[in-house]
Amino acid sequence: MINRQKVLEVRHLQTQFRTEHGIVRSVDDVSFRLDAGEILGIVGESGCGKSVTSFSIMGLIEAPGEIAGGEIWLEEQELTKLSKRQLRKLQGKDMAMIFQEPLTSLNPLLTVGLQISEVLTRHKRLSKREVKEQSIAMLRQVGIPRPEQVYHAYPHELSGGMRQRVMIAIAISCGSKLLIADEPTTALDVTIQAQILKLMKELRDNLNTSIMLITHDLGVVAEMADRVIVMYAGQVVEEGDVYEIYRSPKHPYTKGLMNSTPKIEEVRRKLESIPGTVPVLSNMPSGCRFHPRCPVARDKCRAEAPQMKLLRPGVQVRCWLHQEGEVELNEEFKRRAAAGG
Amino acid sequence: MVHSHTEALKPEMSYEVARTIHPITRWMRLLLRSKTGTFGFVILVLVALTALLSVLLAPYDPTLLNARNRLVPPFWSDGGSMAHILGTDHLGRDILSRIIYGSQITLLVSGASVIISAVIGITLGVVCGYYGGGWFDAIVMRVVDANMAIPNILFMLVIVGVFGTSVPTLIVVLGITGWIAYTRLIRAEVLSLKEREFIRAARSIGTRDRTIMRKHILPNLISTCIVVSTLSVGGNIVLEASLSFLGLGIQPPIVTWGYMLNEGRDYIATSWWIATFPGVAIAVTVLGILFFGDWLRDVFDPKAQGRR
Amino acid sequence: MKSYLLKYVLQVIPVLFIISFLVFFLIFIAGDPVALMISDNATPQQIEELRESLGLNEPFFVQYGLYMQGLLQGDFGTSFSYKQDALQIVLEKLPNTLLLGSLAMLIAIIIAIPLGILSATRQNTAWDLLISGASVIGKAIPNFWLAIMLILIFSVTFQLFPVSGSGTVMHLILPAFTLATGTAAELTRLIRSSMLEVLGQDYIRTAKSKGMSRSLITYRHAFRNCLAPVITITAMQASVIVSGAIITETVFAWPGMGQLLVKAISLRDMAVVQAVVFVSAFAIILLNFIADVAYRLIDPRIKYE
Repeated sequence: MINRQKVLEVRHLQTQFRTEHGIVRSVDDVSFRLDAGEILGIVGESGCGKSVTSFSIMGLIEAPGEIAGGEIWLEEQELTKLSKRQLRKLQGKDMAMIFQEPLTSLNPLLTVGLQISEVLTRHKRLSKREVKEQSIAMLRQVGIPRPEQVYHAYPHELSGGMRQRVMIAIAISCGSKLLIADEPTTALDVTIQAQILKLMKELRDNLNTSIMLITHDLGVVAEMADRVIVMYAGQVVEEGDVYEIYRSPKHPYTKGLMNSTPKIEEVRRKLESIPGTVPVLSNMPSGCRFHPRCPVARDKCRAEAPQMKLLRPGVQVRCWLHQEGEVELNEEFKRRAAAGG
Repeated sequence: MVHSHTEALKPEMSYEVARTIHPITRWMRLLLRSKTGTFGFVILVLVALTALLSVLLAPYDPTLLNARNRLVPPFWSDGGSMAHILGTDHLGRDILSRIIYGSQITLLVSGASVIISAVIGITLGVVCGYYGGGWFDAIVMRVVDANMAIPNILFMLVIVGVFGTSVPTLIVVLGITGWIAYTRLIRAEVLSLKEREFIRAARSIGTRDRTIMRKHILPNLISTCIVVSTLSVGGNIVLEASLSFLGLGIQPPIVTWGYMLNEGRDYIATSWWIATFPGVAIAVTVLGILFFGDWLRDVFDPKAQGRR
Repeated sequence: MKSYLLKYVLQVIPVLFIISFLVFFLIFIAGDPVALMISDNATPQQIEELRESLGLNEPFFVQYGLYMQGLLQGDFGTSFSYKQDALQIVLEKLPNTLLLGSLAMLIAIIIAIPLGILSATRQNTAWDLLISGASVIGKAIPNFWLAIMLILIFSVTFQLFPVSGSGTVMHLILPAFTLATGTAAELTRLIRSSMLEVLGQDYIRTAKSKGMSRSLITYRHAFRNCLAPVITITAMQASVIVSGAIITETVFAWPGMGQLLVKAISLRDMAVVQAVVFVSAFAIILLNFIADVAYRLIDPRIKYE
């Protein structure tokens, strides 16, 4: 690694929502860091707290939700301490976000040009002409053909892929160092997906942008990310280098995710699924949150919640299996199968 | 997210409530959760009881004239007495008794007319929606458009001008002008219901159209019908009172709140109470209906909760 | 644009046709107007002559044909009570009703927009409760009673405004507010609910993630997206305003179409009645058309097709 400058650090983040049935903690003690020019993949099933984590960072959590604890450091600033007004100065300028649905994430009644230029007008001291020139330059940079025309177009006149490019143009227009991409390609066709991912990689390479890539698609993570965080039921259950995680997943949940994803080289393998569903946040199981679905759960897992365990620098896991040192997961599975059968 | 309204009819309860509890208990718990819903329900029950028990509740005969007791103010004003709590009108009739008896005609006319509207409106809505785009649908929708261009009260005034005023006439008139509210909504709902899998499935096995409409579509419209009916009762109360107020509604000696207002209007400068109390009765009743209707809508469509 | 206009007109024609048929049908079964037109001591022969000249001895559809022929030439018949062309009488009263109605609409809009927005952006606060509560009450109060109460408070007790009549601006204020209340309440509720819906949309989240100011988000991003439904409902309120005008004008003795109608109905002057029905239907259709055009101007996704 050439550049290890820290851009974002999240420490023990807790985000909760007040509902009729009491307080629901969607993000519980999440910590991670993101360096300059790094792409961090965050994976997990829907409802695991990925999006809430990203909204917390972006300052988009609103009543009845609130950040109940922890710190979010964006370079030298602690975001949870800032007022709404101070946050608004950073949103769109020092951190930017693109969303899952390019169809609904752009305002249907405003032109593309206005939606880019308003963020420039908001954060930069530029003349009207400079704003327009820079907006068009941004559209060109994200690979939109005929940007002068697209500038005057309305979102509905563009394809899904084009709209996502516009979203990216808006996000990078003020030179943000941090880009949070929440399922940016889920709603797009496969070919368009590849183009958007390529574009994001180029941004990282050319502008040294740090990208937090949230997805449930392990294929996308494998292709894009340097490091990966796996989340389950509001917690980080595993963190590691992308190669490490793919080669030898440490957490049974990660392994389950891997087995339920098709791989090109294993055409005839039967896809597996993880039994059960993500627990309702208001009704968490005792002990380890994954134990009801875990094939290797033990009594201890049912009684006591495991902590994050650092196996070696950059590799962490939240599982009782590894508390006394790293265990080969495949071996454990086999041993279990033998004992059970 | 799509969910059928029969599902919505069984409103989501929090998980701590067991599924086995009696439906009435479940509805009461839901009702008590909403302050405005409870308020509306209580008002409606009170008005209904007043109408049913008028004979017992009213201190006087509502049409009893008493020349010596003319224009007595309510009891808390100078010259008022507990004998006539809300005072008397220009002919010496007891206002409280008249309001109590007035609730009968109010509920009878608005309730009966809503039943007529519902039958016409739901039938047309279902048929139009089911055969959406056909000639029948086209004609009915043009009639709906035409009706939107003529305010209901205008149309009713014309009909009343032609046929005269009696309780049955008024019920029929309100009934045949009120179906539009149903048809528009129900047609739209049937149009989307028709594309749902269970209807397609029923069709694909050759179920007759009439059976599909009756057995599969109608049950899914119950929640819409209940909400529209509730709010229509409120609308019809105001319409009936408007006609009576203009002197073109139900005629004396039958007591109506609207006609009381009409009479009281002439004495507004000297005897404010004659026109005030019947108006309060109308406003509170309608308010109760609006609150109750809003609550029903929220219960049937939890997504919209808080937005209305 | 041209094809859009054509399509709209093609939709309006059957509507007007249905209205004309309904009105004619009602008047046909209303029975013989001759008795009202002629003096009591007319001879049977005179009555018969009048019937013949009015075409009343013809069968239903012939009469309907004659009637439609008249309508198409702008002939709504002659008012027997005013001894004048019915349409003429109605058109003389129209400006007064338009004045009252548009002022009421204006007041309603001016009240509803800020209150609706405030209520939605401060959802579940004391403001919201107050505004939502007031708008339900505003909807529940019947306008004829409100009119009387306003007279009681402002004319009788405080003597700020004249009780009824016309001529000065002061005469206009109470009826306009009476008429505006129901519409203001309805619009406030509508603006609140559509603002709440829009504020939950993805593009509002995008705008927030760009660090846009609260007021820009409220007006540029959210309120604009509410305008289309608001305009449609506002136009639909035209029919509510016409209904309200009938009552309000009667209570305040405001010399407009509504007052004319109530008088005409008690006199059974059907020529005037049908002229009022047509003129108001026409006004409502026209307003809805304007709303439809405005709707298309606001939303770029809708094209004139």
